[in-house]
Amino acid sequence: MAASLSTGTSHVPEQIRSNPLGGIRSKYKGPRARISRDQNLTWWRRIMPIIASHRLTFFTAIGLSFVSLVFQTLVPNMLNHAVTGIETHSAGLHGEVLRILLVGLAAGVTGIISRQYVYYTAYNVEADLRSLIYEHLTWLSFSFYDRVQSGQLISRANSDIRSVQMYSTFAPLIMVQCSIGVIAFAFMLSIDAWLALIALSIMPAMYFIGIRMRRALFPISWITQARLADVATIVDENINGVRVVKSFAQEEAEINRLADAAERVAWAYVKDAEFRGKWSPWVQNLPQVGLALVLFFGGWMVLDGHLGIGAIFAFNAYLLMLQAPFMMLGQLVMMGQRAKASAERIFEVLDESPEIVDRPGAFDLENVKGVLDFNHVRFEYENGAEILTDFDAHVAAGETVAIVGRTGSGKSTIARLITRFYDVADGSVCIDGTDVRDATLASLRANVGVVLDEPFLFSISISDNIAYGKPDATIEEVEAAARAANAHEFIERLPEGYDTVIGERGYTLSGGQRQRIAIARTLLVNPPILVLDDATSAIDVHVEAGIYEALRELLVQRTTIVIAHRISTIALASRVILLDEGRVIASGTHEELLATSPLYSEILAQTTRADD
Amino acid sequence: MAWGGGWGGAGGAMFGASQQTGLPFGGIPSELMVEATKLMATEPVHEPSAISFHQRPNAKERERLTLPRMLKVYPGWVVGGSVLVILTSLILQAGPLLTEFAINHGMIEGHRSLRVILICSVLYLAFAVSGAFLQRQQVEVTGKLASRVMHDLRIRVFVHFQRLSLDYFTDEKAGVLMSRMTSDVENLQQLVQDGISSFAAQGLTMIVITAILFSTNVVLAAWTVLLIVPLLFGFTLWYHHASEKGYLLSRDRIANVLADLSESLYGIRVVTANNRQKRNIRNHRHVVGAYRDANIYTGRVNAIYGPSTNMIGIFGSALLLGIGGHMVLEHQLSIGALVAFFLYLNRFFAPIQLLVQQYTTLQQGRSSVIRLREVLQTPPSVDERDDASELPTIEGRITFENVSFGYSPDNLVLHDVNLEIAPGESVAFVGPTGAGKSTMAKLANRFYDPTSGRILLDGIDIRTVTLRSLRSQLGVVPQEAFLFAGSIRTNLSFGRTGITDEEIEEAIDVVGLRDLVERLPEGIDTIVHERGQTLSAGERQLLALARAFLARPRVLILDEATSSLDLQSETVIEKALDRLLEGRSAILIAHRLTTAQRADRIVVIDRGGIVEVGTPHELLARGGAYAAMYQAWIESGGRDATRTS
Repeated sequence: MAASLSTGTSHVPEQIRSNPLGGIRSKYKGPRARISRDQNLTWWRRIMPIIASHRLTFFTAIGLSFVSLVFQTLVPNMLNHAVTGIETHSAGLHGEVLRILLVGLAAGVTGIISRQYVYYTAYNVEADLRSLIYEHLTWLSFSFYDRVQSGQLISRANSDIRSVQMYSTFAPLIMVQCSIGVIAFAFMLSIDAWLALIALSIMPAMYFIGIRMRRALFPISWITQARLADVATIVDENINGVRVVKSFAQEEAEINRLADAAERVAWAYVKDAEFRGKWSPWVQNLPQVGLALVLFFGGWMVLDGHLGIGAIFAFNAYLLMLQAPFMMLGQLVMMGQRAKASAERIFEVLDESPEIVDRPGAFDLENVKGVLDFNHVRFEYENGAEILTDFDAHVAAGETVAIVGRTGSGKSTIARLITRFYDVADGSVCIDGTDVRDATLASLRANVGVVLDEPFLFSISISDNIAYGKPDATIEEVEAAARAANAHEFIERLPEGYDTVIGERGYTLSGGQRQRIAIARTLLVNPPILVLDDATSAIDVHVEAGIYEALRELLVQRTTIVIAHRISTIALASRVILLDEGRVIASGTHEELLATSPLYSEILAQTTRADD
Repeated sequence: MAWGGGWGGAGGAMFGASQQTGLPFGGIPSELMVEATKLMATEPVHEPSAISFHQRPNAKERERLTLPRMLKVYPGWVVGGSVLVILTSLILQAGPLLTEFAINHGMIEGHRSLRVILICSVLYLAFAVSGAFLQRQQVEVTGKLASRVMHDLRIRVFVHFQRLSLDYFTDEKAGVLMSRMTSDVENLQQLVQDGISSFAAQGLTMIVITAILFSTNVVLAAWTVLLIVPLLFGFTLWYHHASEKGYLLSRDRIANVLADLSESLYGIRVVTANNRQKRNIRNHRHVVGAYRDANIYTGRVNAIYGPSTNMIGIFGSALLLGIGGHMVLEHQLSIGALVAFFLYLNRFFAPIQLLVQQYTTLQQGRSSVIRLREVLQTPPSVDERDDASELPTIEGRITFENVSFGYSPDNLVLHDVNLEIAPGESVAFVGPTGAGKSTMAKLANRFYDPTSGRILLDGIDIRTVTLRSLRSQLGVVPQEAFLFAGSIRTNLSFGRTGITDEEIEEAIDVVGLRDLVERLPEGIDTIVHERGQTLSAGERQLLALARAFLARPRVLILDEATSSLDLQSETVIEKALDRLLEGRSAILIAHRLTTAQRADRIVVIDRGGIVEVGTPHELLARGGAYAAMYQAWIESGGRDATRTS
């Protein structure tokens, strides 16, 4: 989706092109505020800056709702007045009717406008939250992604934002409705203070119940959301791992795995309903108790002659006015707790700080010559064993070095350290004598091109995929990169050539084709330092030879690190670094190592295989 | 099933998958722990689900997805919930009636009676309490109903996902599928929980009150119906169309938002390596913005609908006042009758407002039902026949008979391929990338069906047998080794039920993962997951191989399954293969010709056709395409397998 936007409308789904709202380009400008960083604040105070950034529409919505409500409350009185007018045969029926029509119109128009603003604000807040989460995730470090499953993140960006959004739409409306209670209470006080106090004697109980209800609902709301995320995670895995599930015919096991998770969601929902059932009827019916009390005490006062019947009628009318907001109050508390749980789950993500960031005073790497130094590098992954113990190596500018080692010896890790996908635990990695941690990330990664061992492609067109690192590249540049990666020929053979949209994750292409596009993607950026992390493993020798032919020309002035198992790939390098147990065991030309290092021969299986 | 075992297991706190797997972000924050644990202690141990999966949907699963059908599975709760809703709304009506009665019979001059007032008040209280009680029941019943209906729906959609073929998953973005299973299903929760039963109750209230209106005054009642109902109906019709369009749009756009997010998450390494963050953030704003616009559109429609129906009510009242007033002035109507009529007229409008609210929820839910229905009505492109039989345990003869295939019909990848693989024979497919080698493997286990021609296993057309019996006998190891979140142990035991620890240990030794397992702090209980970097690409491939070994398939297909291995590991694997392939047929797809050399026969594939077939010896001697490839392989430094074999 993302990149297809940049190439015009060709990949925009049908329903979006033909929608009544105009093109896909939205006027949405992105969030104008972020959540408060202070983790001690309550959830709504943390989210307040975002709402405050929409204060104009927010307060317009609230203000107009209130006006609309006032107009609405006028209508019953006007009707009563008119009916009494007819009774007394006072003239002006037409005038009365006209006045009611006008008030109705005013109530309607203000109501429509205010609701529009309510929705406008709520949906903007939602869009802000979505953008913030995406932005934040984009900058988070790889160590975060090593720990967290994407299903979890997607669920937070989905179910949880939804529940916050529902609350932010619903709450302002209810609050305005409740403000009518203040007016009603003022009227009641003016009629009879004692009776008003009796009517409101239920308030402490309401408050108490409200608190209890909140306390009961919060944990179950959290559990519900967490379990929804579990379901999402299973679905996510089954979509991405569909080939494995199908290959092993394990559909049934996966269905039951999901059903178990769904069963736990169902239980949480039932439990949630139980709690709501326990508390919300009281919130909704306590006002009735107030009404009954007014009826009794008011009646008594009428009999005593302290109060007129009209006052009872009026009281009744005002208390009835309170009924609807109180009925919604229970729902408000419930949604509030769910929103709170969800908001905190969203904050959990937003509170993760990226571990790898620009240092204060970081500067741009410029005119990189390409001297690489690894100074006693030590590194380990979280939850993993130590990968590099004391890796020490020097690569001259323009040199092509192959790193060879057993499976899992830490070769790929070295590639990841150069680009600061991870930071060293000890020691340093330097480019032209500059510690990579002193350079800005953007300039570092612009100068170091990595072809990763997993050739991930996006479901956008092939040319967009190749130009991923340089979106303004011309089609000639794209084609040149594709030629160098030996991909041009097969791309041309595709029905739509470079405009062919790759299916999800590029699975419509073969492994070797994907690797070639990934190589072209990096070559197009033309970085002074190039790292090929097992980038040709699925490419047959013939094609590989072609790629290296092209690379040889390209690599002349460029520092290149090649991580590979194949001798054909290693042959590209002028020097080989042999890696084992986290450090350099030997370094030299292929022939030298063959002659001197038994481990090297063993790894390349170049021994005479006498054991066979 | 090993997967379920972990979480369903011994009673205690069960937070779900992520908690179990030890990954963060799946559990309960520490400050909530005490209460959450207390709560979950009340959770019964759920019976492990025992749903059996059939590729062919039964008659019930083939039914069109509609709300009534989803509900009618639980007639007891639907009826019970509706009765309770109706009762509670009736009880709510009792209050005003009692008040009127108390005023008329207890307070008015000549009818003063504290007893009447007291009785009315007490009755009022009693109604309030019983109302609360009934409401409690109602919330519980509708809550249960909603949770069961959602549960059924989740499973139904997921089961259908499992039925769908691979092409569906490559054509549809993962995020879109994800949003169907999550946001669309969740979208229905509110509707089923509160919507439907109160929809019925409000409708019923309206009918009753209309009847009362008619009994009060036929002429005025007729006017009411005439003035208000057509307007309301027309307006609702407009709303129905406008909001449906908006809600469907918003469903599609949320799917786009999730698709963009999900792709960015999976491609985060490429995004970061290419400095694409800022640009992607801008793009995501457009996607989010488009979703926001759809929402604001539906918001606008809703904003017009709600207050406007209210306005129609006020206009109606005003006009009725004019008409009724005239009738009074013309002495066709008593003033008392007019007052009474207006008293009920207000009660006529109240349920309309509530109905309008519920209708909004209904429309929102309907859009999700429509989208889910589309998924459920998508037929799998590779399906079982109705009379599909179980494939008996095969010897392993694989026959490609005039097989042609293209991912799109106008672009064939394979042209008229004929090949027979004997039982127990191992065959290597070699050839340039994109020649169609993997495609042949994908056809053999029916990820796709050939455009023409057929594939036979032991002489049986694979389209005539059940998918499960076919695939459980074929073990495919793809190039990308997908790992599920869980321990190494659970990942290894994925392929078959009843895999013992000894077998797992053996498999680890066979593929040469012993070193790794010993290096990991928690051994084979170390948690791995799809993107985790605990394991290198090569180690993942070794795990995938071990997983396939443990599944004990009759035919093994290795699709570039060793591409990320160093040569030493590959040598280990080759030895393991020798053992594993004893008595099994195998298709080996490899670029490393050393692997190919070990096969009984080599098939050279180029441009969608078979160019050469023969034993390695024959082909080398023949000096054709394979000999040339092998020469290039050796020249490029490939390990020469001919020296030792």
